[in-house]
Amino acid sequence: MGKESLLQMSEIKKQFSENLVLKGVDMNVLSGQIHALIGGNGAGKSTLMKIITGLYQADSGQLFMKGEPVQFNSPGEAHKKGVYLVPQEPLIFPNMTVEENISIGLKQTKKVLKQKMRELNSTLGWNLDLSRLASSLSIAEQQLVELLRGLMRDAELLILDEPTSTLTHHEISSLFKIVKQLAHSGKGIVYITHRFSEIFELAHHISVLRDGVISASGPVSHFSYEKLIQNLMPEGKTFGSTMSVDHCKQEEKTEDKTPILTVKTLFGKRFRSVSFNVLRGEVAGIAGIVGAGRTELAEAIFGISQCVSGEVFLDGEDISTLSVRERIDRGLVYIPEDRSAHGVFSIASLKGNLTSAILHKGKGWFLPFKQEQKIAEQYLRQLSIRALNSCQSAESLSGGNQQKIVLGKFLAADPKVILFDEPTRGIDASARMDIYELISELKKKGISIVLISSDPEEIMALSDHVWVMHEGKLVKKLENDAITLDQITSASFGVEEEVTAP
Amino acid sequence: MKIKWFYRWEFFLLLLFIVEIAIFGWISPGFLHVNNLLFSMNDFMFISIAAIPMTLVIISGGIDVSIGSIMGLCSIILGVSWSHGVNVWLAVIIAIFCGLAAGLFNGLIILYSRVQPLVVTLGSMFLFSGLALVISGGSKASGYEGISGFPDAFVQLGNGSFLGVPNPVWFLFVMTAAFCTLLHFMKYGRSVYLVGINSKAALYSGLRIKWISLSTYILSGLGGGLSGILLTSYFSSARADLGSEAVLPVITAVVLGGTSIIGGRGSIAGTVLASIVIGFMQYGLQAIGLTSEQASIVIGAMLILSVMARQSSFQKVMQWFRQRKSNSSDLMY
Amino acid sequence: MKVLSRLLQIREASILLFIFLFVGCIGIVNPAFTSGDSLGLILKSSMILLVLAVGQSFVLLTANIDVSVGSTMGLSAAVCGILLSHGVSGYLAVGAALVIGLCIGAANGLGVSFFRIPSIIMTLGTLGIVRGYMLFYTEGRWIEDIPHYFKELSAAAFLGIQLPVWIGGIAAVLAFIFLSRFSVGRYFYAVGDNEAGARLIGLPVRFITVLAFTFSGLSASIAACLFVMNIGFVPNQTGSGIELQVIAAAVLGGVSLSGGQGSLFGAALGAIFLEVINHSLVFLKVPAYWNNAISGFLLLLIVTGDSRFQLWLKGNGKKKKQEQEDMNRSKLPKSGEDGYEDKVVL
Repeated sequence: MGKESLLQMSEIKKQFSENLVLKGVDMNVLSGQIHALIGGNGAGKSTLMKIITGLYQADSGQLFMKGEPVQFNSPGEAHKKGVYLVPQEPLIFPNMTVEENISIGLKQTKKVLKQKMRELNSTLGWNLDLSRLASSLSIAEQQLVELLRGLMRDAELLILDEPTSTLTHHEISSLFKIVKQLAHSGKGIVYITHRFSEIFELAHHISVLRDGVISASGPVSHFSYEKLIQNLMPEGKTFGSTMSVDHCKQEEKTEDKTPILTVKTLFGKRFRSVSFNVLRGEVAGIAGIVGAGRTELAEAIFGISQCVSGEVFLDGEDISTLSVRERIDRGLVYIPEDRSAHGVFSIASLKGNLTSAILHKGKGWFLPFKQEQKIAEQYLRQLSIRALNSCQSAESLSGGNQQKIVLGKFLAADPKVILFDEPTRGIDASARMDIYELISELKKKGISIVLISSDPEEIMALSDHVWVMHEGKLVKKLENDAITLDQITSASFGVEEEVTAP
Repeated sequence: MKIKWFYRWEFFLLLLFIVEIAIFGWISPGFLHVNNLLFSMNDFMFISIAAIPMTLVIISGGIDVSIGSIMGLCSIILGVSWSHGVNVWLAVIIAIFCGLAAGLFNGLIILYSRVQPLVVTLGSMFLFSGLALVISGGSKASGYEGISGFPDAFVQLGNGSFLGVPNPVWFLFVMTAAFCTLLHFMKYGRSVYLVGINSKAALYSGLRIKWISLSTYILSGLGGGLSGILLTSYFSSARADLGSEAVLPVITAVVLGGTSIIGGRGSIAGTVLASIVIGFMQYGLQAIGLTSEQASIVIGAMLILSVMARQSSFQKVMQWFRQRKSNSSDLMY
Repeated sequence: MKVLSRLLQIREASILLFIFLFVGCIGIVNPAFTSGDSLGLILKSSMILLVLAVGQSFVLLTANIDVSVGSTMGLSAAVCGILLSHGVSGYLAVGAALVIGLCIGAANGLGVSFFRIPSIIMTLGTLGIVRGYMLFYTEGRWIEDIPHYFKELSAAAFLGIQLPVWIGGIAAVLAFIFLSRFSVGRYFYAVGDNEAGARLIGLPVRFITVLAFTFSGLSASIAACLFVMNIGFVPNQTGSGIELQVIAAAVLGGVSLSGGQGSLFGAALGAIFLEVINHSLVFLKVPAYWNNAISGFLLLLIVTGDSRFQLWLKGNGKKKKQEQEDMNRSKLPKSGEDGYEDKVVL
């Protein structure tokens, strides 16, 4: 590493209406370098990347590619200069084959392209079937398609935007191998992520983007875990300690031993024979890798999808045949994983969002405007959502605050049990702490939480006990001291299948 | 704030309306006579009445292009049942039920087949207009004259007036008030918006999304039925092809009224105002000497320009306004 | 069974099957229907809808819709007719008609791609504008004095096939080749499949959108020329309402309104099927007013049937896969499973 400069940015500024998003960004990516870019939600990472790839144009500032000044007016121009962005959510064409997906937009003949594709495929050691329909690919495979697209375009600078957020453990390690390999062959890589462990494993150089400027930059050896977090936190707010998370776990358990949620031999799409109990006021973690069937299980418990057989009891009452609405009324809510797609009503007001899950409650057919206002204000305050008023639209909030709106909407339903799916997905470090605090607060109030997370550390820190799900089955129950990273990880991958006796 | 925003667009429509009246009044002074204005509304009331429930369908993310055929179908069913000796008011009720059933049919097929609403209602558009023709052909009603000779009381429904205001206009008042209440002040209306904005999120929030979209189609069928009855009364003849050209004006009125074609946004008042603006435009241009079809140049241009304006500059201006406002008076809302 | 279900998945095959079944059934009832003459007539008269459906498919593939084709066809026909009746040469008249279609299509495309007006609204607007302008232009009169030579073109035959069929066929084949053999053809699918993705990999999304609408406009004016040729006069309502039939034909042929799926071949077959239905009633001695009811019923039946069938296939496929997986799993040693369940039930 440390060769010639590949892409240099100087004083990049960008303003949306009156909102100055980028306030003069300087960054320098060298060839053969893995350059990690981190920053909180709304720090301007995605805007910066869109400028680099020609989707947006900077208001001022200059891009240099190998020293010569360039300006990209469209992604096509950026591709010609060797810049390619692999987006966070792969943007593939579902009705086309893999081959068409990769070769579309390239000028060479089909034969040449196919030859090149095969070569790339074999040098990288991937066995991707080129004739498959893209809609049948897993997200990881879609990401490979995106990478191939970039490589087929002879990209010299690859931008990976949170590539691991949807990948399984195996896929992540093979991706890392590929990224390292690519860097070794002289390509420059900008790697955007929220996960610190990946940075220290992979990156050569780190740049931290905060409030539209690079707040820190340097070789990875100059950074420590704490220093990174320090640089990420908004100015003036000091970072307490990650360990504060552990407090909620240490608190004495509630005396009440009657289960509030009981799931009995539930069978359904992608999960089989699932049984468990959750006690009042406890946090039960469900660990496992992506695709283990946890979300499907939660959706079935909530009544979104049908289950084949089995029963669900809430507070002693059989709710297996009830509708989603009736389950919400009984005190069971599910906070979905994909909160922007399944949670937020983007152009509705904050009021409308916060009361959407309790719209049917209360007497009468008319909207209780005053009450609605009160509820909205209560949750805006309680969750410290930064908003001007309760009438503005949800889309005008930042991503983190939109997530809080979704939480608020389900908390407003006054739940007894919350099924919380990936509570910190797509959330930056400081907002993460808020969520953890919230979970411990809810627990204090006697609300039970079923915590579904792919992050073993999160599960360990928050849960009273942990079930590990593997290929649609709960393969292991861990309690107290048995909750260790080793145990969770090994069970997640189905390494040992025996069950510890209670 | 959302309501405020709509208010603004409606305000713009109101301005447009006033400008329009002023210009036509200036060109042909006879135009400005109050009675003239009021009674000319009879010509396009059926568009407004069909457009009101259509607003709900479009807000919830659907579309119903079979509305014109439902008008014809209800008209001919009214006529045929009356000519077979059914009491005319009973025939009206039968026609209303027929409209509801047509809407139910649309809604059920959309829910059951999961085909896009545009495709389904396109098919049912052919089906309903075909059924209307079959019924009219089967009962030997000739295509152009249809079934006529209705009792005076029924004809007065579309032609008479009450307190100096034509009956159809009263009818519009009632419909507007009822649907305004339904959409803007009732829980049902809120859920229609929520489903239109994000039906997945609505599902996860425990809303009955199937029932909500089904019910909007039923209401749209009701609108088609009422329009068909009104048209039958207005022309005092029941014909299978009544309303066959109504689809596009109805959708134009809804969209010009500020409803987003992809759902989630819109208001009843906007639709009503837009349909009146369009109606008077047509009437005024006719007064100048154009045919109603030639007037469609202006209406088409209005549609494109208004959406273009809303898409770009209007929103920016409003945003600027909003920001100034929220800076000065945070506590107002 | 497997072959059949495979075939049914290909929409073109199933619609072709439907056409043959339908023609066969009618032929049994009234053998006159299957005579070469009447089938030739149906083919000839279906060319207008066919050309329009092929043009519309380009727009539908990009996940847009064009409801202005009816009035574009009307205006083009009026211009072509008036020029011809004033003694302008046939080539020039046809050329003028084509230019008009091209311009209207391009205008639609520009509105949709550059001004971001939803296509249904943009084309609804041009529908009104063009229709109104046509009535200005013709002053509401019918154009009847089309020269004889032009009308006779419709009967001119080459290799036993009439000129309109040649024109429609060649236009459709050219469009088909363009879409399937050129890499640009895939861009239409890409834009409709995932617009953001298409933009990201640097496809000229706006240009493709404009091109799609231009093709649709062009197809409307080709259809207009065929109309003038076939019918021999231009009523002032020419083309009104045909836009919905065109969309119905394309949808019937398997072109998805949500973009990215379907083929021109399917759309063409859909158009022929609709015409076959319309013409068959005469042979069944059913009054013509049954036309719409039957077309509408069949459209709903086929589209919903197809959708249910695809859903069923998907569900079935998944179930089989699931069973397979379960089988595989059951082969694995499973020590703890059962014990675990027991524990919880206790």
